[in-house]
Amino acid sequence: MKRIHIIGIIIIAIAIGAIMTTLSSSSTYASFKEAVKNPDDQFHVVGKLDKNKETVYNPQVDPNLFVFYMVDNEGTEKKVLLHKSKPQDFEHSEQIVIIGKCNDNGFEADDILMKCPSKYNDGKPRETVNK
Amino acid sequence: MMNYIGEHLLAGRMGNVFVIFSFACALLASISYFFASKEQLENNSWRKIARISFRLHSISVIGIVSVLFYMLLNHYFEYEYVWHHSSKAMPLRYIFSCFWEGQEGSFLLWTFWQVVLGNILIRISKEWEAPVMTTISLVQAFLASMLLGLYIFGAKIGSNPFTVLLRETPDFANIPLFKNPNYLEKLDGRGLNPLLQNYWMTIHPPTLFLGFALTVVPFAYAIAGLWKEKFSEWQKPALPWAFVGIMILGTGILMGGAWAYEALSFGGFWAWDPVENSSLVPWLTLVGAAHVMLIHKHNGQSLVATFFLTFITFILILYSTFLTRSGILGETSVHAFTDLGMSGQLLIYLFFFLFLSLFLLIFKWKKLPKQLEEEAIWSREFWMFLGALVLLISSFHIMFNTSLPVWNKLFNLKMAPPANVIEYYNSWQIPFAFLVTIFIGGGQFLKYKNTDVKEFWKKITLAVVLSIVLATFVAVGLQLKNSFYCLLLFSSFFAIIANADYLVRILKGKIKNGGASVAHVGFGLILLGALISTSKKEIISVNTSGKDIESLDKQLSNSKNILLTSEDTLQMGKYYVTYKGKEKIGINIYFNIEYFTKNDSGKYHYEFTLKPLVQINQRMGNIAEPDTRHFLTKDVYTHVTFADLETIEEKTAEGGEYAQSKNNVISVGDTIYSSNSMIILNSLDTHIDRKQYNLSDSDIAVGANFTAFDMNKKKYSVQPVYVIRKGIIDPIEATIADLGLKFMFWKINPEKGNVEISVSEKKSNAKDFIVMEAIVFPYINVLWTGCIVMIIGTLLALWQRVKR
Repeated sequence: MKRIHIIGIIIIAIAIGAIMTTLSSSSTYASFKEAVKNPDDQFHVVGKLDKNKETVYNPQVDPNLFVFYMVDNEGTEKKVLLHKSKPQDFEHSEQIVIIGKCNDNGFEADDILMKCPSKYNDGKPRETVNK
Repeated sequence: MMNYIGEHLLAGRMGNVFVIFSFACALLASISYFFASKEQLENNSWRKIARISFRLHSISVIGIVSVLFYMLLNHYFEYEYVWHHSSKAMPLRYIFSCFWEGQEGSFLLWTFWQVVLGNILIRISKEWEAPVMTTISLVQAFLASMLLGLYIFGAKIGSNPFTVLLRETPDFANIPLFKNPNYLEKLDGRGLNPLLQNYWMTIHPPTLFLGFALTVVPFAYAIAGLWKEKFSEWQKPALPWAFVGIMILGTGILMGGAWAYEALSFGGFWAWDPVENSSLVPWLTLVGAAHVMLIHKHNGQSLVATFFLTFITFILILYSTFLTRSGILGETSVHAFTDLGMSGQLLIYLFFFLFLSLFLLIFKWKKLPKQLEEEAIWSREFWMFLGALVLLISSFHIMFNTSLPVWNKLFNLKMAPPANVIEYYNSWQIPFAFLVTIFIGGGQFLKYKNTDVKEFWKKITLAVVLSIVLATFVAVGLQLKNSFYCLLLFSSFFAIIANADYLVRILKGKIKNGGASVAHVGFGLILLGALISTSKKEIISVNTSGKDIESLDKQLSNSKNILLTSEDTLQMGKYYVTYKGKEKIGINIYFNIEYFTKNDSGKYHYEFTLKPLVQINQRMGNIAEPDTRHFLTKDVYTHVTFADLETIEEKTAEGGEYAQSKNNVISVGDTIYSSNSMIILNSLDTHIDRKQYNLSDSDIAVGANFTAFDMNKKKYSVQPVYVIRKGIIDPIEATIADLGLKFMFWKINPEKGNVEISVSEKKSNAKDFIVMEAIVFPYINVLWTGCIVMIIGTLLALWQRVKR
């Protein structure tokens, strides 16, 4: 066996290893239902902010806790405890992705991604006031 | 049909003519160069046609660019692109940013750079002109088609900034504004995304896209080499281009990192974001390609690898383009482009050149000279080749993980990125970086073909010993515990020292010939700086006061933010930090945050002020921008993550001493929060001292016993009393004077088992505050120094190569 073959085998082994770890360490996009069923696993839940319910952010008490209610894509609603400060322009978000685990308190999220760019309500052409 | 007033439709028509022309000429240039490559170099009539076509194509592209700039400068908001990306209020200096904010503009930027490169190649590439320009013109045709804006059999071909009028856009067609023929008088643009309104947006995209454009040159040479069966000869002219590509693309990527670090709130310079990854990966393979070309130049080996890595680099650029522009990244990236419905076209672009290179390789496979003998283990080329392979496998790992959304779509999966993306990537990429830096360090002392092993070890010992000593010293000093980090620390030092040593001892300080060594020192410094500044970054804003008694038992995974009340001073790391209030300048609100240190006698010493800001943008959302204080050995980064944007004056403008009360429906054991305390309802008490309140025996009285804790955990008690006096509800208020709180117990709901208590706060309680995050990045300047050194090194290497 030539040296190049040995190197080839090693490379293939590393590549398979890379694929396997990617697959095993990846989280899953799921609904609240699934997240409730598997409280030990980390999930990405996609949904929308329930704008009818109050969001609670009391930085005086805990600047790293923001509580809101989110409806996932299946329509299940859940209390979300985000362990971060309240994101900028949270109310404008169209779609949110929260990353974390479910427990008895609700969904404990470590991180949040929000989608809001071009699709603001105000993104439509409108008249200017000044002339 | 309405006659609209004041629309400038001529500009659009002109632009559109240029678009069609640029596409047609690029196609014609490609076809005629194809035939030209089959003829003699002299009196080549096909080449004449091809050159004229490419010149016309160049003129058209410049025409497109000029018309689009003209439209942006003159605020022609009747065009969707102009409306979408600019506004009247926007300063003129952001005009370039508006130009390439959208997909169409950034494709144009890319096309423009390739026009420049194509014209240079026509001048200098001599006998390679026809075959090389065939490919480049074809790539140009594909890029030009991205602007066509035609519908063929229902499929959208390109998106044309000149033909899409705002009033015809499906989303907006029914807006009443367009019922007015004179709508333009009243129209203003949507404006540039505030995140992009800074100078980075002016310099980062042109650099990055020049880097993208440069990868096409080695690719076109490689295709030409295979096609014309000049399997080795193509590399001589292609190699300098590969180095220019490495330099420019590398600079572009690092600029993106610097942007993220300085102006965006990533909290670091590299977040392994899909968009960052997809420009890093082609750079890694381009570095690999250039190095195997060097191997081939010296011993004629590794021919297949030169083709493979050159091809894959360009294919990866196309793949990145697909990832970032097709909308497929969706949730996983913060800064992908919005989807324009061109994924099909982008895929055709990708697959066309993928299959072209694959088929050429397969057809010519038999004719390719094969490697006969193995490289010696103690040869420079063997270790360089291994290094290139490590780069390839590292790219593969990054790309496979970045492509999760693609796998999801293809196989109908629901995979999401790992919970801690940065940690996940680092766990794989740090060992790769270790290997690469070891090869970089050792490789210089190995000779091509074969090396005397004893001699090698003799020469390298100095570097090995020095780096072990330095790495140990630094690891102990920084208390670096992770063994992988320690290994990379050693190997980065080794890469730097070995190359510097080579420059001094072997090249005798002749820096002209030492481009490679200088670049390698730079690369080592980048890794060293990245390693130290990220692994030892210290979040100094962790909440140490422990003011929240109840949530202490909760698992707080990331308590990075801290509350800072106006004029209060909190300790953060070695600093004492005071929030001195905010000021509004234009659309920005600046937060003045002063940093002090305390000397031995307990006196505060002023150090510096940081002014992170929040930019108010009602249409697109507010944007927070951090501020960083740079020192030689560290950076102090400060970011306001939450702030009340109203001023105190606005808040206390009207009304009495107390703000409006807030009703709370609670049961025993529940907690109420005020702005300065948490208040727990301990019990309800019917044993009320009736004399004190002048109550008769028939009156009903229930006291609510509260315990309040302020920020410093100081305890207060208060008892508002619910009273029914002679059948009328007549609650007795109670106050905590120190906290400025007033309580009224005004309702009992026996059926629900709860009570209602309203709390009002003194207005003067509403102190201004911010929630902020502060991070110290140690030795990040090593990283930036490394960037500059690497660029200088590549320039030197390039200079030597071009001169030869």
